[in-house]
Amino acid sequence: MSSTPRKRPAPDALVAGGVVVILIALVAAVFLSGLGSSLYPPEAATKQAGEIRGLYDIVFAVAVAIFVVVEGLIIWSVLRYRRKPGDDGLPAQTHGNNLVEVIWTLVPTAIVLFLFVISWQTLNSVDTVSAKPDIRIHAIAGQFAWQFEYLDANGNKVASQLTPVYDTDTGAGGMAVPVGRSVQVTLDSPDVIHAFYVPRFLFKRDVVPGQTNRFEFTVDEKEAGQVFRGQCAELCGAGHRSMLFNVIALSAADYDAWLQALIAKSNATPAPPTGDVVLNLTAKDIAYDTKALEVPADTPFTIAFQNQDPAGVPHDVDIRDASGAVLANQEPINGGTSANYSYQGLPAGTYTFICSIHPVPNMTGTLTVK
Amino acid sequence: MTADSHALTTSEHAPVAELAHDSRGGIGTPILGMLLFIASEVMFFAGLFAAYFSTRAANKPWPPTEFSEILNPFSIILVATAILVASSFTCQFAVWAIRRNDRRGFLRNISVTFILGVVFLLLQAYDYSLLFDEGLTMGSGPFGTTYYTLTGFHGAHVFGGVIMLGVVLYRGMSGQFSARHHDAVEAASLYWHFVDVVWILLFSLLYFL
Amino acid sequence: MATHALSPVAAPAARGWLYGWLTTTDHKKIGIMYVVNSFIFFLIGGILALVVRTELAQPGLQFLTDEHVYNEMFTMHASIMIFLFVIPMLAGLGNYVVPLQIGAPDMAFPRINALSLWMLPLAGVLLVSSFFVGGAPAAGWTSYPPLSLDGPLRSPGAGQDLWIVSLILIGTSSILGAINFLVTIFKMRAPGMTLFRMPIMVWTVLVTSVLVLMATPVITSALVMLFIDRNYGGHFFDPVGGGSAVLYQNVFWFYSHPAVYVMILPAMGVISEVLPVFSRKPLFGYKAFIFATAGIGALGFSVWAHHMFTTGAVFLPFFSLLTFMIAVPTGVKMFNWVFTMFRGQLTFSTPLIFALGFLTMFLIGGINGAFSASVPVDFALHDTYWVVAHLHYVLFGGSVFGVFAGIYYWFPKMTGRMLGEGLGKIQFVIMFVGFNLTFFPMHMLGIQGMPRRIADYAGDAGWNDWNLAATIGGFLIAVSLLPFIWNVFVSLRSGKVAGDDPWEANTLEWATSSPPPPYNFDHLPEIRSERPLFDARHGRAEH
Repeated sequence: MSSTPRKRPAPDALVAGGVVVILIALVAAVFLSGLGSSLYPPEAATKQAGEIRGLYDIVFAVAVAIFVVVEGLIIWSVLRYRRKPGDDGLPAQTHGNNLVEVIWTLVPTAIVLFLFVISWQTLNSVDTVSAKPDIRIHAIAGQFAWQFEYLDANGNKVASQLTPVYDTDTGAGGMAVPVGRSVQVTLDSPDVIHAFYVPRFLFKRDVVPGQTNRFEFTVDEKEAGQVFRGQCAELCGAGHRSMLFNVIALSAADYDAWLQALIAKSNATPAPPTGDVVLNLTAKDIAYDTKALEVPADTPFTIAFQNQDPAGVPHDVDIRDASGAVLANQEPINGGTSANYSYQGLPAGTYTFICSIHPVPNMTGTLTVK
Repeated sequence: MTADSHALTTSEHAPVAELAHDSRGGIGTPILGMLLFIASEVMFFAGLFAAYFSTRAANKPWPPTEFSEILNPFSIILVATAILVASSFTCQFAVWAIRRNDRRGFLRNISVTFILGVVFLLLQAYDYSLLFDEGLTMGSGPFGTTYYTLTGFHGAHVFGGVIMLGVVLYRGMSGQFSARHHDAVEAASLYWHFVDVVWILLFSLLYFL
Repeated sequence: MATHALSPVAAPAARGWLYGWLTTTDHKKIGIMYVVNSFIFFLIGGILALVVRTELAQPGLQFLTDEHVYNEMFTMHASIMIFLFVIPMLAGLGNYVVPLQIGAPDMAFPRINALSLWMLPLAGVLLVSSFFVGGAPAAGWTSYPPLSLDGPLRSPGAGQDLWIVSLILIGTSSILGAINFLVTIFKMRAPGMTLFRMPIMVWTVLVTSVLVLMATPVITSALVMLFIDRNYGGHFFDPVGGGSAVLYQNVFWFYSHPAVYVMILPAMGVISEVLPVFSRKPLFGYKAFIFATAGIGALGFSVWAHHMFTTGAVFLPFFSLLTFMIAVPTGVKMFNWVFTMFRGQLTFSTPLIFALGFLTMFLIGGINGAFSASVPVDFALHDTYWVVAHLHYVLFGGSVFGVFAGIYYWFPKMTGRMLGEGLGKIQFVIMFVGFNLTFFPMHMLGIQGMPRRIADYAGDAGWNDWNLAATIGGFLIAVSLLPFIWNVFVSLRSGKVAGDDPWEANTLEWATSSPPPPYNFDHLPEIRSERPLFDARHGRAEH
């Protein structure tokens, strides 16, 4: 029937206590070395992010307090109430204690109600959208790139930004916004669910096809000149990891200049073909109409490119060499538009032409240069 | 171990405790099992109904204009409904019959229930063919999808019920049921009533509301 | 019709040992097979996790240059772990233990029990076969449409359909199991075992079974609708055709949130068995614990949309409030466990050590979940590695540590042999350290901005070191399984003989031999409390 209880509790308790102490030492080391700062969000860049950060700090403090209390009780029990040799009688067979049980039901209820109320207040503040924001941007998330349409006060498009990622060398690309002004973003997708996420805004919102979500933010004045990372945060397929974008905070004057330049570029007539060598290429249903192109060596050439996919599905035609290095990086064009892409002459060899947004499976082919 | 006279023992040659009949009173084990199974089926239809209501609320007009008259309650489907409702009555008569050990009455009523169930399925299939000819398919927008999904899964459950009734009929004909032992009949009839109630809800929702 | 006298003594093994196991309806053998089958899928799911972690150890695509394959890896890892490991593993432990703990000779429907079991390897083979028929599903275990629908750049091919069919089979197995558990618990308790004298393990299985019964059919409906959209031109979820992508999320999470309680409650039951035995005290607040469990079950049905806070389609305050409220009964349980140990006499056998690991890890998992209950904070944390940290702290730190506590605790009953204590402790230390090294850094990664489900990350985002640490931790977890597997094989062969009650325990399964006879009990002690064996040993006065 029952076997005699083990009479070696002390070394086992030391193992248990030792592991716990090691863990606590690790955690302490993390915090003391400064790595613990990464348990906090990155510095808030918008007014709304600042409020969320304040809320996070309160929740974090409550969390640490609860952890210390409960884990402390666990560790205390492990160290203090080990069965020692000579402990043959039973400990007091306490079944419960009504007072204590009521307290540890009511106090946590009060704590969570407090957390709910402050969360709700912060939510009402950060989630409001105004009837007349200063800036309106319509963000379109498609597989696998972002586009940003800048709208006027009546909601009409004035400019399109088809290069979502900021290039530090050229200064081109990204979604520029002025600091200190309210920016309202509406979100749309022609294909699957995506999510607009900027870590320094402490914020994300899903982009749901068939539903237009909207949110508003105001970048803090002191962030003028900063470039913020953003990326898609809802699995959208085999290009999800590359759906990056940047938000660029500019002073009001710089923003006006930036927007004017973008308007001019959006309204510019497409460049005519250069030189005599003109190839035709069409993109439809996320595929090129041919997988093989040929040009003579050392001759500049043009690809007359038509994007016959719906608006919201951009494509481009980049050239890469055999090792995958990008030799020609063209700007994407939106669905329903065309462009004449110019390329410099290439030495003889085999290259790949490829859509940078939808590289596989059907938007890549071989460019033979002889 | 205490040699307590209250301890429960099994002797060497007694069979494992009987499971089919609860001698301590209360609901029979197979009946409880069937009720729980029906609860799970209710939740399955709840998911489909939730999708229906949500889809309907988001798509106006409903029915869409090209299908505004296609679901006419005063057609063959009304006959099918009447048949299914009648079959619930005959099913209950069968249960009452076997409870009073009226084997003949039980067999008569269960056969009629079985046949009525088959007729319902045939009428449903015929109605589908008529609707198909009029242009309503699974792909006819959310309207078509929800119609065929809801009625189709209901039909599948009727089919399952018909099989259950068939098994009960077969076992009944080989004399396996009596007033004291007829759990399968009770269980099958509970399922059959459930299938009927779902149809009444479906019919009202799809054809009238 | 001829009748034959039944005999409890099995006929001599004329057809062989394997045939006996394959055709058995004995809940004990079925329970063991559930555990073994689930463990095999744990290993498969674990290998997929190692593939993911190996790719993420450094920025850049190292060997999974096709991002689609990476997406298949994490989709299958999660799907296998949830549906083929955690849920059936706990069902298997319950299958073994519940009839014994209530003094019953078997489950109410033994043949349906066997059917529930055998559906699982079939469903598992179907799911894994997707790798070989054109690609596994790659839309995440959540499979949100439109990505999970048919079409280019979505999920064409049989993989997603095999996933749907496999999950429907597993769901059916679960539902049949739930019906079995509920009827068994309500109808087959030994005399004297009132509902409020049942072991907590049985109570948690009861509430879990109610959740399975009522929630699983709803995901079946979602899967069925997805299948219709994919294969029959349906328009439930595709916005282009008039459907709604968010509708799927609502129906899906209506099941999948209660499912997380399905995955944790029986593990909590295990902890509630182990702590009293190894503290030599009763569970503190037995009745409150039961009400807290029932409360979690009920509240669990009302919070599903907290997985959808960022969709812009949810009534936020309602779901946030109820999500916060679930912390209260969970906290009650936590305190009940701690105060069971408080002023007890603790013996640090391996089951208790795993239970202690559970307590700390589940505490962290519960706390970091509370962050996500706060909607504005969730706007920052949703779909980042913070959520990956949370779910693994509760599902691994909680459920898996609970499973191992249960295995070390009941292995002697199942096999008649003790598992080695030394190897058990070695497993615990390596697993505990490895687990925390893997998943604690994910809090940092998440709050610093690393999204989930990305095959690669920017090398200049500051995420490199934490990712490398997490990968090392992952391999440590794998290493920790080696002493465990070795322990099982060695102990089966030459472990210490267990006897009826090696732990000096409280509940009825220890009142019979190890392993028990086919019909479970020759005699049952008098049942006058939730600790009948304790009463038999110490007398009622000491209770």
